[in-house]
Amino acid sequence: MKKEDREILREMEATDCLLDVRNVTMKFTKYEVGVDSLKELVVRALRGNLQHEQFVCLKKISFQLHRGEAVAVIGRNGVGKSTLLKIVSGILYPTRGTVHRRGRIAPLLQLGAGFDHNATGLENIYLNAAIMGYTKKEINEKLPAILDFAELGDFIHSPVKTYSSGMMARLGFSIAVNMDADIMLIDEILAVGDIAFQNKCFNKLQELRAKGLTFLIVSHGPNIETLCDRAIWIERGRMVANGPAREIFEAYEAMMTNPATSSRV
Amino acid sequence: MANPANGTKRLLQQGYLLRLLVRRNIKNQYYRSFIGVLWTVLNPLLNMLVMAFVFSELFGMGSEGGLDYPLYILSGNIIFSIMSSSTSGSLPCLVNQQDMLQKTKVSLALFPTANVFSSLVTFGFSFIALLVVALIRFASGAFVFHWQILLTVALLPAVVLFSLGLSYLLSTLYVFFRDIQHVYTVLLTLWTYLTPLFYSIKALNKPIVEKLMKFNPMYHYVTYFRDLLMGTIPSVWTHVVCYGFALGMFAVGILVMTLVRNKIAAKL
Repeated sequence: MKKEDREILREMEATDCLLDVRNVTMKFTKYEVGVDSLKELVVRALRGNLQHEQFVCLKKISFQLHRGEAVAVIGRNGVGKSTLLKIVSGILYPTRGTVHRRGRIAPLLQLGAGFDHNATGLENIYLNAAIMGYTKKEINEKLPAILDFAELGDFIHSPVKTYSSGMMARLGFSIAVNMDADIMLIDEILAVGDIAFQNKCFNKLQELRAKGLTFLIVSHGPNIETLCDRAIWIERGRMVANGPAREIFEAYEAMMTNPATSSRV
Repeated sequence: MANPANGTKRLLQQGYLLRLLVRRNIKNQYYRSFIGVLWTVLNPLLNMLVMAFVFSELFGMGSEGGLDYPLYILSGNIIFSIMSSSTSGSLPCLVNQQDMLQKTKVSLALFPTANVFSSLVTFGFSFIALLVVALIRFASGAFVFHWQILLTVALLPAVVLFSLGLSYLLSTLYVFFRDIQHVYTVLLTLWTYLTPLFYSIKALNKPIVEKLMKFNPMYHYVTYFRDLLMGTIPSVWTHVVCYGFALGMFAVGILVMTLVRNKIAAKL
């Protein structure tokens, strides 16, 4: 571990900060046609055209997340919110900048990501939780709570491919919220399932929040505003605001409903 | 952060996940087939019967290098298929798991590793098939059992390491170059024929082939296994060669995967 890393971690420990994002810049390579083949590489090399255009997805994003905070990330479609969440969870590596984390992170970027469709719901609970980094013992302990929350009844012994998308989401959500994570990263996943289940999810999130769990949520829903105390607004890859949730949500809504300033929608 | 107790716990956790993935692979392989996992024994057995029939009845091959022909074919094939089935399964495995790799944080190497270990489990079943055939040939007096067969456990780590290295390499390359799948299918066929699975080098009687064969790691693994079946313990030099190829390939695979690790999720 480098010296700077150690210093940042020490500082985070002192302020009980769980997540420290510093100057994160993410660039993606923009390919035209013939995306990824050896043939394309050879052709390009022969033409002396190996440079590819890059586009900047996120530019110099910095923020911190302290224990017990709930922060919403808002912005239009395609401004890099999901990419930011992937960087925070460690799935993508930023082109520049650093991300430091303390504690367990549960990324809920897509409910049921990594489900094996031939396996039963029960088998998938073990597989999914193991992928999230839990041991068999930990999963066994949480199993009753997961089953109880998912409300799948006997379907838990059926292959997941026979599930409806709502059932799959219920199972995925149930696994994620019942394991003891320190930080939950949530990417617009609450728009699934029927209203009863949505409410249940929302109540569960509030319960976890009361327990002191830390959240980073990408969403537009009005529910989120009441759940979060801070919001980060991203516009064209840059962070334009970081402050109290209510103020930022209001400003964002005003911008979105005012056609003069939202010409790109 | 680098707490040793945490390290062990994490290692055990990853081992548990690997076990789940291997079990899933095996289950999916014969998913919904009537006799299920029994196919893992039957499959090599039936293949061997076909090949033994074709080569001994049609091409007139007999006992090769002192080993009964059905056993000669079967022994070569089951060792070779640890490598061939694991690498051809691993090649697209990262791309096939893109949903998971883009949405969850999970170690990349796990998927190719799970493929190799699944092939090793299949080898275990094939080994039972081999013993069955050996028993039948033993009853008809064409084969004698030797205790050296137990030394197979000294060969397997080499084959596994080699397959792991190649699997890491191929699965990583495939993320960036999707056309290597076609190239590899052809190369694997070529490799199958360039390894003495059905024939013996001695029977070919071509010194140049014999020389070139030394560069084929699979030749060494297959020969090692057959030597054991015939009751010979391979020389120290053979061990050096077998493990040399294995460690070399493993190092290359790990290196390539580590170098581009950070780019894989973005490229999927």
